[in-house]
Amino acid sequence: MGKKFLKFEYLLLFAVFTIATCGLVYELVAGTLASYLLGDSVKQFSFIIGVYLFSMGIGSYFSKFLTKNLLNTFVEIEILVGLIGGLSSVILFLLFESIYSFQFILYFLVFITGCLVGLEIPLLMNILKDKVEFRDLVSNVFTFDYIGALLASILFPLILVPKLGIMGTSLFFGMINVSIAIALCYLLKNELKKIHLLRSKAILSFLILLVVFIFSDKILSFSEGKLYGENIIYTNTTPYQRIVLTHNKSDYRLYLNNNLQFSSADEYRYHEALVHPALSMAKNVTNVLVLGGGDGLAVREILKYKDVKKITLVDLDEGMTNMFKTNTILTGFNKNSLNNPKVSVFNKDAYIWAKNCSEKFDVVIVDFPDPSNYSLGKLYSLNFYATIQQLLKPDAVVVIQTTSPYFAPKSFWCINKTVMQVFPQVDAYHAYVPSFGEWGFTIAINGFGTTFNTVNRKLNNLRFYNYQFDKFNYFSQDMISKDIEINRLDNQILVRYFDEEWGKLQ
Amino acid sequence: MKNGENYNNSRRNFFKTIAVSLLVIPFLDACKEKAITLLIRLSGTNHILGHRLRVKNFPKPTKEISIPYLIVGGGISGLSACRQLTKKGITDFLMVELEDHLGGNSSNGENKYSKYPLGAHYLPLPNLEDKALLEFLEEEKIILGYDSNGFPKFDETQLTFAPDERLYIKNNWQEGVVPKEGNTAQEDKELIRFFKLMDDFRIKKDEQGKYWFMIPLADSSENKDVKELDSITMKEWFDRNHFTSKPLYNYIDYCCKDDFGLGIEYVSAYAGIHYFAGRKQNASKDKHDSVLTWPEGNSRLTHHLQKYVKGKSLKNHLVYEIENHNNKAVAKVFDNKTKTSIAIIADKILLATPQFVNQYLLENRKGLASHFHYTPWLLATLVVSDLTDNGSFPLCWDNVIYGSKGLGYVYDQHQSLQQVQDKKVITYYYSFSSSDLKKTRRELYKKPKEYWKQMVFDDLKIAHPAIESATENIEIHLLGHGMISPVPNFIYGKAKKEASQPIADKIYFAHSDLSGISIFEEAFYQGINAVNSMIDETALDS
Repeated sequence: MGKKFLKFEYLLLFAVFTIATCGLVYELVAGTLASYLLGDSVKQFSFIIGVYLFSMGIGSYFSKFLTKNLLNTFVEIEILVGLIGGLSSVILFLLFESIYSFQFILYFLVFITGCLVGLEIPLLMNILKDKVEFRDLVSNVFTFDYIGALLASILFPLILVPKLGIMGTSLFFGMINVSIAIALCYLLKNELKKIHLLRSKAILSFLILLVVFIFSDKILSFSEGKLYGENIIYTNTTPYQRIVLTHNKSDYRLYLNNNLQFSSADEYRYHEALVHPALSMAKNVTNVLVLGGGDGLAVREILKYKDVKKITLVDLDEGMTNMFKTNTILTGFNKNSLNNPKVSVFNKDAYIWAKNCSEKFDVVIVDFPDPSNYSLGKLYSLNFYATIQQLLKPDAVVVIQTTSPYFAPKSFWCINKTVMQVFPQVDAYHAYVPSFGEWGFTIAINGFGTTFNTVNRKLNNLRFYNYQFDKFNYFSQDMISKDIEINRLDNQILVRYFDEEWGKLQ
Repeated sequence: MKNGENYNNSRRNFFKTIAVSLLVIPFLDACKEKAITLLIRLSGTNHILGHRLRVKNFPKPTKEISIPYLIVGGGISGLSACRQLTKKGITDFLMVELEDHLGGNSSNGENKYSKYPLGAHYLPLPNLEDKALLEFLEEEKIILGYDSNGFPKFDETQLTFAPDERLYIKNNWQEGVVPKEGNTAQEDKELIRFFKLMDDFRIKKDEQGKYWFMIPLADSSENKDVKELDSITMKEWFDRNHFTSKPLYNYIDYCCKDDFGLGIEYVSAYAGIHYFAGRKQNASKDKHDSVLTWPEGNSRLTHHLQKYVKGKSLKNHLVYEIENHNNKAVAKVFDNKTKTSIAIIADKILLATPQFVNQYLLENRKGLASHFHYTPWLLATLVVSDLTDNGSFPLCWDNVIYGSKGLGYVYDQHQSLQQVQDKKVITYYYSFSSSDLKKTRRELYKKPKEYWKQMVFDDLKIAHPAIESATENIEIHLLGHGMISPVPNFIYGKAKKEASQPIADKIYFAHSDLSGISIFEEAFYQGINAVNSMIDETALDS
């Protein structure tokens, strides 16, 4: 055995080592992705490892049918493993919206990678069987195989995923795989046949992986965009929430923590229904308070009334109100309302602000996020409404966005009943907003000086609300719920109702 | 909308969260390496000054003050006594207190983010029979009135906000502190049987119509069945009733430590059952186990009571000797600020101090005091940047870790109306339940603060593995004599009765250790009761 052969053998064994490392990395990538996306990590990892080992067995079985051009096949398989394994995470990322095919593709990719890796080792043993003593061969091949596996399993969680991310890791290892193939093409050019074709295949695969690797960030954001089903045109993460603005044809949508806040196509329905009943029935509208509503869309509607002299908006998130003061797309929606001289914006906690406020208002518009957690639940409590009442002039009107009476009737009537404990006149109404569904409001009058059907002022150019309140306060059977408790700070029953009702839709 | 349409996004959220956290981990690791400078502060009762009582190396009094009534000790029983004196139209009294603040176990601390308790932190809804307490709560606008069914209307912001309690058990948080998660059918059965027994005890009355278990304890029955329960430990009672389940044992042990400092093996069965049966649960139509609480704990109640001693209290003053002299009671008092002593000559003195102190103030009290056992406590208030856990149940007011050494922690900002807290402040409780309390007490003061810090972290890490790196500062508060612990034959024993007896109509006693359990209601009652008998005697005198 000459020196040259020694090189040949170690080269191939190094290839085994790389294949083993890369193979396990692809398996771990698949397992991790599957646990992220499908949950239940024990199940996912268990299935992936099972499928992977099983497909390695299949690969080993089929290796006996490969008899010709063994070395060429070995290099080709090396390229294929690199390409398929490397791209697997990208494919999975892009496909995970459609969950059924996702699972199929996941296992299919694991299966193919497993088969190819399974082919490699018997193949290599066949290549080397005439050149090395069998005993040494088996021991060397498996030693490198297992060392590679150990290396992969240690590197993966500690270095690879933190440094490269899931997608980067698999692409990076794909490139390593393929570069081994390229190296083999050069170093074994005398032993290989059709060397040019093989070399081109390897280099092309490497380039594909490299390009995808460079653009992996773009792909990530594209896949995020796909999740929204729209193009993301603006994102902003404030200390309180992640704000995402998307655009699709003529429709802009704003998401707060992935919950739709408004769609530009139909938000006028929501905001007209929120603002105009209260502003038309109130005796006076000189001084108006808006709690929440940092998008300025409710303020835009309020400003349409000339007798409104002053609007105070209290929204916790300065990032949100600043966005709606400065971003030109957004100020286009709210007609620059937050920069209107009549409007003052306070970025304060509404509850604390209200407790310390000594001013009195004619109309209060409460537009908080839905009571999806115990913090938000406080803003729908009996004590909160009693606090609001302290801010009201006699006969002032309060309107509260009250989630959907169709999807969450218990939650809706719970808020309504809680408000009833505080105010002498309370009613509820609802409007259909296509992007939300059927949406509801609770309205209350702090006295008997006006009624829900009174129209003290009206505008002629509204698109949705027609000032006939009695057309909006009828609730069909399926939007009614009885035996509802009052929401108090010490029971937070609303959050439980809400969780129960919206949780069902999940 | 607010929440509807994109509800099915949780899969993506989950993915994103994990992806983000994977990217954040190396960053966090880098931060960790920067060596966090954790601020540890040690506080506690002024035991150094207190311990001087043993040697009494105080200067001789150089000044004399005369006052009709002297109240020694500014804890709840002393403060309650001053309120009662005021209500009786007596305003010429003086209070002396060893610490630089009033409140005793109902004191608090405060940092940039929140107030926090340095002792007792809640008051269960009172029994409707406890008229004096109801009256006080109404005065302080904790009760806002009564509804048509006679139920008090409690101020919503002073009742514990929901969700109030959770338990970390089997790697998950569950709602409520009674272990439910993964119990066997047998274990569930025992829990049901136990609570049924407690329900029965709650309504049990003796021949004279007295409840077996009542608050104040003084109004409880004294029949032989009750005394029998007081003569065995809670553990013996548990065994005698053929209870065997581990979740129930752990739960009762937790409850005993929570209220008495000592666990199931050491407290009397009477006390253990009193925890459940003493509260009649008749102050609310449905929410039986609700409690009143404040960020600063019962220090809020101290604050309400303090108005009665405004301008009438001497803080940093230690009474070191009391004697009857020429038909007057004379207290020798050391002023820790000026390092001088004064003599306060009073018509009557009310000792609202625990018996382990009284043994040094009065002659021949050491034997009596030896029957009073006080469990040491450790409280740790942590400012943490993040309290994220596995999210199985949201953060509550009371957060207990099943099978842990401590009693869990209270989220001090739970009663805040605010949406978001910049930093979270929690107070961890630990009682030293052991058979040798003296030894434990010595250890408490001997071990360095780093030792206790590590103990707190190790315990909390069960549920919050990352808590140590998220903690910005920690205040460890040591209470050498945390609370009176009702061991068997103490509540109905002779020593307690004897220690309550006034001396020569001059010296009176009021303290929760004379009730036998350390709860606000008892201390509050002690103060009122002592004043009433003190004044009656006075009325007889004149």
